[in-house]
Amino acid sequence: MATVPNWQLGRDMEYPYAAPRPKKQFTMIMDTNKCIACQSCTIACKSTWTWGKGQEFMLWNNIETKPFGFYPMGWDVNILERLGEQTWDGDVYTGETLFEAAPEGERVLGWAPAEEDWSHPNIGEDEPTGNAFDTTYIEDRPHSLMWMYYLQRICNHCTYPACVAACPREAIYKRPEDGIVLVDQTRCRGYQECLTACPYKKTMFNLETRVSEKCIACYPKIEQGLQTQCTTACIGRLRLTNFLSAPDRADPRKPADFLVHIRKIALPLYPQLGLEPNVYYIPPTHVPAEYLTQMFGPGVEDAVAMYENAQDDPELLGLLLLFGSTERIMDTWDVREGIARAYDARGEEIVAVPLREPTFVRPFEFATEVAGEPVTGYRHNT
Amino acid sequence: MSASKITRKDALLYGGAAATGLVAGGAAVAGVAIRVEQEKGTTAAEGEPIVARFVEGELPVTDPGARAWKDAPRSTVALAPQQVVQPYLDKAGVTALDVRALTNAIDVALLLEWDDDSVDDLDGIRRYHDAIAVQLPVRASQQPPPIMMGAPGTPVHVLQWRATWQRDIDSGGNTGVDQIYPEVVHDVMPDDILPPETARLYWVGREAGNPLSQNVRSTPVEEVVAEGFGTVTHLPNQTARGHGWNRGGRWQVVVSVPSARPGVGEGLLPGTTWPVAFAVWLGDQENRGGRKHISTWLPFEIESGS
Repeated sequence: MATVPNWQLGRDMEYPYAAPRPKKQFTMIMDTNKCIACQSCTIACKSTWTWGKGQEFMLWNNIETKPFGFYPMGWDVNILERLGEQTWDGDVYTGETLFEAAPEGERVLGWAPAEEDWSHPNIGEDEPTGNAFDTTYIEDRPHSLMWMYYLQRICNHCTYPACVAACPREAIYKRPEDGIVLVDQTRCRGYQECLTACPYKKTMFNLETRVSEKCIACYPKIEQGLQTQCTTACIGRLRLTNFLSAPDRADPRKPADFLVHIRKIALPLYPQLGLEPNVYYIPPTHVPAEYLTQMFGPGVEDAVAMYENAQDDPELLGLLLLFGSTERIMDTWDVREGIARAYDARGEEIVAVPLREPTFVRPFEFATEVAGEPVTGYRHNT
Repeated sequence: MSASKITRKDALLYGGAAATGLVAGGAAVAGVAIRVEQEKGTTAAEGEPIVARFVEGELPVTDPGARAWKDAPRSTVALAPQQVVQPYLDKAGVTALDVRALTNAIDVALLLEWDDDSVDDLDGIRRYHDAIAVQLPVRASQQPPPIMMGAPGTPVHVLQWRATWQRDIDSGGNTGVDQIYPEVVHDVMPDDILPPETARLYWVGREAGNPLSQNVRSTPVEEVVAEGFGTVTHLPNQTARGHGWNRGGRWQVVVSVPSARPGVGEGLLPGTTWPVAFAVWLGDQENRGGRKHISTWLPFEIESGS
């Protein structure tokens, strides 16, 4: 075991390898508030990468309703229960990670879904939870005390991947150039240790080729400076494919660094598991903080408050409006005179988006002439 | 790839995983595991020898009931759960392996039998296969290589039979989704609408040349070399043959290899004695990879015809 720094835990932790950070780290930011679970991302991924025979059950990308949706069934509640109590002291995690809690003879505390657990990717869809006795209109709530929300899920391309830790073949590797985690398709021998170890359950077993496969972060697109298929297919424009620096190298001009390290509005998924996952979520504004804290760690309430104030925060609003505005990966961005602009690594403008769309309000009363006679009236839905 | 030149580096490069910064860390982990195993002092080949009886003519590789097998001496080998290198096998599902062996100075064959009343010959999600492996040193030496699949500089030669590969052969490669889920209904698949050379790209492991991913094969036995746990490397020239049957809740598997072991190592020549070790996997008990039953090194005498 090596000792490695995990900034999401605010402390060092044990990991089987002395894994150095990659030169750049692929990351994705998800604004959970904008998702309508249309699954355009899921289909974009499926139709690009996993429509082969043997991949029928595979969804490298999926959207699930929380708290009752799971793909595979019970993926998060099972590992959380196995891990036991997870405690924080401020921003420092004082519980055990999956590596520190590994039983004798194992490298990672894992949980292996049964094959039928993969069979119901939409289970629990749109099922709400909460206080059913207060579901009538309440003035200070937009809907009611019932709640549910959509969680967008891809491989987290973790800094400390459990799949890498568990593979006895060293068949899974993290690319030093962009931090994308890949299964070497020539080296895997199908032991499925990664399926048990990955707490997010984002490695999957191909039933025809008998080896593991996983989200490849659309690396052929990334290598051309383009955002992933799930990002560009998103009609809610809630995703951002980007690169994230280590916290001590955070640059406020870089989109992901700004959202994750500077503003801390985008938070990791189950950071307490210890993998330093690299997909970050802007938490939903209408969900109880206790639930969100378990899922995204400390900092949830500040993130929600910041998001609710975005309309008065041009810098943040500008960046959020650049989500889904270009297929190209942004290097930097700025907001000037009501316009948010994204730039590539050479500083050339990729796209510009106004913070407020220009609008023209026509009077709903009109007056005209018909056959020489004056006519007045009201416009309908034109 | 000559025997004397097989190194751990070759093994990693062959797999293509060496381009990652994590590999160096992995080597360190494997090294620690091997040291632990050496401290346990399991390196000597001890016990009653397994004798490969010399017979004239073709060895009965596809006939476990042949007279020659009945006449060959039977050895019973003790098996224990592998609990040296992570991941461990928690508990034993089988404790004994019966071994008989024959040679005709051209090939060496072993008939291996163990109790297993569940035939597991398809690979799926949490579905694992039955299998057996025979481990031999690549080179003769005073001290055998570490029992856990050798070590850098002291490679082992492993012959592995898998029930899945046997079914590949017996069924002509029908061992995929349609067999795992006989009631499966497919949507349009790449091979329905694309030219074969394009459709094949959706079977990435197969197209990338992973020997594990091939469902059309000529032998159910894979020959590999290894220099420690996790370093199994498929040999470019596959010479081993074999066949397996499950009858009455018991596997009978014949594994055969040319005595000369061309391209692998020193020959299993008549009149020589080698260390040999075995591993058994029970698919229904989720055995796979290092989660296996293993024996110690045992002496293996190759009889001469004279």
